[in-house]
Amino acid sequence: MRQVLKNTAIFAAATLLSAVAAGQQIADPGFKSVGRAWPLAADLRDYQITGPTIPVTFENGVLSRGTWDQFIGSAHHGAAPKGVTPLPVDLFTSKDFYKDRELWKDPRYFRCNSPAGIEEAWGANTTATIGDKPPGSAAWGYCDRDYPRAAIVSPYPFKTAEEHYKALLAETTKRGGAHQRPTAKQLEEWTGRYAHPGNTTDAQADWTGRNKSNNPQSYWYRGRHNQIPTILSLLTPEYQTRMVQEAYHAGNTNAPQWPSQYCWPEGFMRRWHEFAVWEWHIIAAPSVVQIVTGVARNFITTIHVDREFKMDGAVPRLGQDVPRWYGETVGFWDGDTLITWTSDIQGWKVHSAFEYSNKMQTIEIYTPNRDRSGKFLGLNHEAIFYDPEALVEPIRIIRNYVKTSGFEEGDPYVFIDCVQTIFPVDGRSTPVSPGTDIQYEVPDMYGRPWAHIWEKYFEEGMERPKGEDIFSFD
Amino acid sequence: MNTKRTVGGLVAATLTAAVVAAPAYAHHSFSIFDASQTKTFTGVVTRVNPDANHLQIFFAPMNEARTNVERGPDGKALVWAVEMAGSAASAQQGISVNEFAAGTVFTVSLHPLRSGDPAGAREGALYKCPRKPNAEGVMKSIPPPAGKHCDSVEGSVAIGAGFDPAQQAQQAQQARPSGGSN
Repeated sequence: MRQVLKNTAIFAAATLLSAVAAGQQIADPGFKSVGRAWPLAADLRDYQITGPTIPVTFENGVLSRGTWDQFIGSAHHGAAPKGVTPLPVDLFTSKDFYKDRELWKDPRYFRCNSPAGIEEAWGANTTATIGDKPPGSAAWGYCDRDYPRAAIVSPYPFKTAEEHYKALLAETTKRGGAHQRPTAKQLEEWTGRYAHPGNTTDAQADWTGRNKSNNPQSYWYRGRHNQIPTILSLLTPEYQTRMVQEAYHAGNTNAPQWPSQYCWPEGFMRRWHEFAVWEWHIIAAPSVVQIVTGVARNFITTIHVDREFKMDGAVPRLGQDVPRWYGETVGFWDGDTLITWTSDIQGWKVHSAFEYSNKMQTIEIYTPNRDRSGKFLGLNHEAIFYDPEALVEPIRIIRNYVKTSGFEEGDPYVFIDCVQTIFPVDGRSTPVSPGTDIQYEVPDMYGRPWAHIWEKYFEEGMERPKGEDIFSFD
Repeated sequence: MNTKRTVGGLVAATLTAAVVAAPAYAHHSFSIFDASQTKTFTGVVTRVNPDANHLQIFFAPMNEARTNVERGPDGKALVWAVEMAGSAASAQQGISVNEFAAGTVFTVSLHPLRSGDPAGAREGALYKCPRKPNAEGVMKSIPPPAGKHCDSVEGSVAIGAGFDPAQQAQQAQQARPSGGSN
């Protein structure tokens, strides 16, 4: 239920934006488009986080765990919220979540935890809320807080990314010329460093849950503002199962399997995960734009301007018939706005979010945010996700990146090869010192290796739904 | 082995708002660590891994007498790992391969793994024991007296986030709730 915040304090990051830019979450292309910059059905800034969580403080780059007096949620340590009747079995008490499928539609099955709330139950990012008799003593979020589904799904009428891209291309052509490239000055404006949406003072306030008024940076994908059944409603049945499996092993068994902890690929959708991407470094040229980013300094998005996908394979692609961890991207300029289409993506997962398939494709629009004088402030990034295998309908994420500098100053961006120091030991991620012998099963990287660990170590006796494959190698 | 031993300043540090190993930069869940427990070690650096996601210091805890490192039945040194923020962020605090060369004696508090394996997440400041030249003129870390940690030794250096005694006193009065709803 909508919880309108009354606090109107303006935080430091807002000073980076003009009054115009700060007041918007969507771009303003200056005309009514067929497929970009449509309004959001609801503004995340009007919604309080669902919880439960114990906020952190984050000052001058130093993070401190919060304390119980800062708890955000409706009940903790085994108590139930007033006016809420707990279910006889829920995620924190179930011995077999697969059997509880009918209950997954009820927020009480998750104790009204948001996806992030589940993840933080055992202290993933901050002080644990799981209580003193875990997992049964897990805390409750607020059952009346939920960012609306209508604001998550795409508002556009397109069924596929191809259809969407072609419509935008036709529109741009009709308006005076697709492929109209930016000026040298505009490319210079694009090129440089951009602050992560979570790396501004007001956004940090949002992240900690204390205050998020006037925050132009918030977006729903991190999973702090939703009930889990709302997110499940976006997914096909198989991907619902996978997300509940993720939630169960985050909240119940405390066996989270975050891919990057093992130096596994981060995966395409981690580009939208709150702290996966950190700042952007953009190099813009007329024929190619490159975005490098990632807290692990290993994400690269290369946008090939005015190239066309091959359409003769299972999915559109630019190169060979090989799915890529970050896909392949084509695009075209509309002046200083860049419209892109990404395909040929390797399906994967994002922790506390949902899995996606090799059919995932996106349309992304990068539109400059400018102040009233025309000064370049940063980029509005609107992304629409099409994945007919995982999603029951397309979804959308909008965020704003604030440009902070060119490349004339500051530490360089250094590409990182991840060095593995954490290994699964008895199914749990464990830092292991050099010279230590451990028993290690080589993961099947293209067979949901995280799920294999859970099923091997933590799902004994559960009745998993069987696949339809007549051949079994189990 | 004195892994649970604490001293004045470090006790205070563990009671504060828990400056942590920057989960904001995390590439793994910090739920693997038991934040309700804090262990304090004085040990000898064996290696620093300057990894992008989490810098790790591997160290051999010293014995109570501070005359040697703890060793297993096979005579090999027991090695613990403490992880913290990424290598770049850690370097900004003065924690790097060069500043914590092998042989450095230091004190660290950490939240241990729930599994009991010898690793943990850094908690609060690191304290390097002072260094002096040995007979050959090579600078060497000087271990603290028996039963002491580096923070109690004159000339030690605190690196990284410290603690605020006033905040500590305030938080010490905050009782952890036993249950409730709102």
